[in-house]
Amino acid sequence: MARSRISNSFRWMAAPALIFAGSMIAFPFGYAIWLSLSDVQLGSEPRFIGFGNFRRMFADEEFWNGLRLTLLLYVVSLSLQLVLGTWLGLLLARFQSARGLVRTVMVSPFMLPPVVVGMMAIVILDPSFGVANWLLAKVGLPPALWLSDPNTVMLTIAGLDTWQWTPFVALIVMGGYLSLPHDVFEAAEMDGASGWTRLRFVTLPLLAPTLITAAVLRSVDVLRFFDIIYLTTQGGPGTASTTLNILAYRRGFEFFELGYASAIMVTLSAIVFGTVLLFARLRKAVAW
Amino acid sequence: MRRLGPVGGALFAAALACSAPAASQGFNWRAQDGQTVNLMFNNHPWSQAMRDMVAEFTAKTGIRARIEIFNEEQFRARLTTLMQGRSADMDVFMTLTSREGAVFHRAGWYADLAPMMADKALTTPDFNYEDFGASIRQASTFGQQVVALPINQEGPLFYWRKDIFERCKIAEPNALEDIPAAAAAIKTCDSSQGAWAARGIRGVTPYALAAFIYNLGGSFAMPDGKPGLSQPNSVRGLEMYSNLLKDFGPPGALNHTFTQVIELLGQGRVAMTHESSNEFANIVRFPNRAQDLGVKVLPPGRDTKISKPVAIGWTLAISANSRRQQAAWLFLQWATSREVQAKLVQAGVAPPRASVFEGEEFNAWAKEVPIRRAWADALIEIGRTGTGVYQSPTDRVPEARDIIGGAMQAIVQGRATPIDAARAADAELAKLQ
Repeated sequence: MARSRISNSFRWMAAPALIFAGSMIAFPFGYAIWLSLSDVQLGSEPRFIGFGNFRRMFADEEFWNGLRLTLLLYVVSLSLQLVLGTWLGLLLARFQSARGLVRTVMVSPFMLPPVVVGMMAIVILDPSFGVANWLLAKVGLPPALWLSDPNTVMLTIAGLDTWQWTPFVALIVMGGYLSLPHDVFEAAEMDGASGWTRLRFVTLPLLAPTLITAAVLRSVDVLRFFDIIYLTTQGGPGTASTTLNILAYRRGFEFFELGYASAIMVTLSAIVFGTVLLFARLRKAVAW
Repeated sequence: MRRLGPVGGALFAAALACSAPAASQGFNWRAQDGQTVNLMFNNHPWSQAMRDMVAEFTAKTGIRARIEIFNEEQFRARLTTLMQGRSADMDVFMTLTSREGAVFHRAGWYADLAPMMADKALTTPDFNYEDFGASIRQASTFGQQVVALPINQEGPLFYWRKDIFERCKIAEPNALEDIPAAAAAIKTCDSSQGAWAARGIRGVTPYALAAFIYNLGGSFAMPDGKPGLSQPNSVRGLEMYSNLLKDFGPPGALNHTFTQVIELLGQGRVAMTHESSNEFANIVRFPNRAQDLGVKVLPPGRDTKISKPVAIGWTLAISANSRRQQAAWLFLQWATSREVQAKLVQAGVAPPRASVFEGEEFNAWAKEVPIRRAWADALIEIGRTGTGVYQSPTDRVPEARDIIGGAMQAIVQGRATPIDAARAADAELAKLQ
C-alpha cells in the first residue's frame, strides 16, 4: 500500500519524457497531415485546400500504380520471408553445434546498411557487367534483365529484401520455438504423429503468435520500403517500380509538390497503421 | 614633440577624414577571419577537387569551411528540406540554375549577390564578373538579381572509339544520321562489341536527347510557346535516340544514367556514347581510353546542318537564410577566381572564365594529350553555340524533363509509337504551362 502511494507520487516525474516523446511523434505527423490538406509552394506559407490533394491522388493513375506495386511487393516479400524464415528458424533450432557462429552469419545480411545492399545489387545484377548473368551463363542459363525489365523488377526487389530479412524472421522463429513447452512435442511423438503432422498441428499453431510478431515487424518495413528501390531503379524502368514511397519522394523532393507528396505519405501511413491493427487483432485470436 | 600649427592641424584632420573611409572600404580577404561556413555540394568532379583545395581558402581568409557532398538525389532532398525549413545551417550550395533557378528564385532561396558584388569593401578588385561568358551570367540572373556564380561549363559530347571504327573500316560520323549507320556496321563487324550507350532514366535523359532533336531541326516548343515534341522533326530526333538505345544499347539501358554509361565506355564495352563533358577526366582514367577515344560535339543533321548542343553550368549560390553571407561571399569569390579555376582544369573541370579558357596554363594542359585539345575545342564550341533549354517552356523544369524522358522510355519499351509517345508527352507538358 505504502509502496503504491510512493510510486504514484513519483509518476509525474515521467511526464516530461512522455510529453517529449509524444510531441516528437505527434508534431511531425500532425504537420504532415496539415501539409496534405494544403497547397504548398516552395518558400511560401501552405494554403489550406481541404481534401484537394486527396481528390487529385485518387484520380492519379500513378497513385494506383504505386499502390498496386506497394501491395505486390508487400505480399510477395512477406510471404517469402515468413515461409523461408520459419523453415530456416526451425532448422537452426535443431542445430546444436556452432550455434553462435551460425547466428552471427545469419545476422550479417540485415546488419548491412541498405545503401550497401543497393550498391551490391547494382554491381551484381547489372545485365551488362554484373556477376549474376556471368554465373547464369556458366551454368548454361540465358541472361536475365533483373532490375531492368518491367516484368521482373519488382520480383527482383522482393528477392533482395527477402535475402536481407529472412534471417531476421528466422531468428525470431528460432527464439520462439526454443521457448515452446517440449512436453507437447513429446506427447505428439508418442501419439505417433508424423513430422509433417507435428509441424502442421502442433508447431505452427504454437508458433502463431511469434509469426505474427515477425509479420508485424516486417510489414512496417516492407510497406515503407524505399532506399534499395531508389538506389537501384529510381522507380523505373518507366514506372515499373514506382511504389507509393518512391512516388511521394519524387513528387516532394524532385517536383517540389510537398502538399501532394504529404497526401500520399499520409495515405501510406494509414495503410501501415491499418495493417498493424489487423495483425494485433489476429495475434489476440491465435494467442494460447 | 613638435606641435602642429593651425594649417598643419587642418591638413592632418583632412588627411584623417580622407583615410578613415578609405581604410574601411578597402577589400580584405581576412575580414571574416575566425568564421565558419557550411558548404553543401552535389557529387561532381568540381566538388571532389574543391574538397582537396579548401585548406587553401582557410589559409587565405582564416575562414573554416565545412563541406558536405551528396549524390545528386540526396543532395536535392537535403537542400529542399533545409531551405523549406528556413534553416540557417547551410551557407553555400551548388545549384543548376538552368534547371531549378526559376523555382528557387521565386521561393526566395537565393541571396542576391549583386549588392555584394557592387560593394568594393566586400569584393576583390580583380573579381571581374564580365570574365564569365554572357550566356552563363544570364542563366543566373533573374531581373536585377544575380543569384549564383558559375563554377564550370558542361554539355553532352559525342565520344567514339577510333580504334574500333578503324578496325571495322567505318568512317568517323560527320552527320547525325551516320551514328545509327555506324552502330549497325559495328554490330555486323563484331557482334560481341557493344555499339552504343546513353542515358535511359527518365529525368536525366533530355540532357543527352536534346541535341538529337535540335540537330534534326526539331525543338521542344511550338512557335507560340506550346509544347512541341510532336512536331515532325522533334519526333525524328526522339525516335533516333530511342532506337539507338533499343537496337544498339546495352541491356537494362533504361536504368542507366551517366555512371553506368561512363563505366561501359571506360571498360571498352561500347563504341559510342553521347555523355557529359564533365566525365571526360573519369573516362580517360580507364586504361587506353586517352589514346583510342575521339570526342567532339554531336554531329549536325545531314540536311539541316544544324548543330545545337546543350550547354549548362553548375553554379554556387548563397542561401538567403545564411547568417554568414559575407564569409560565404568570400568563399564564392575564391572558388570562382581565376587562380582556382586554373587549378581545377587539372581535375577536368572546364572553366567558365574566358581568361582561364584562353589562358596559357589551360592551353599548355590541353596540348599535352591530343584528346584534351579535342575536348577543349568541343567545349569552346558548345559555349558558343549551346543552349541551356531542353524542355518546353515552364517553370516546372524537372517535371517537364521527366515527361520527355518518359516518352523516350515508352518508345524503347514498345508501349507507344514515336508520334503517339510525343503527343501524349505534349499533352502532359501542356498541363505544366
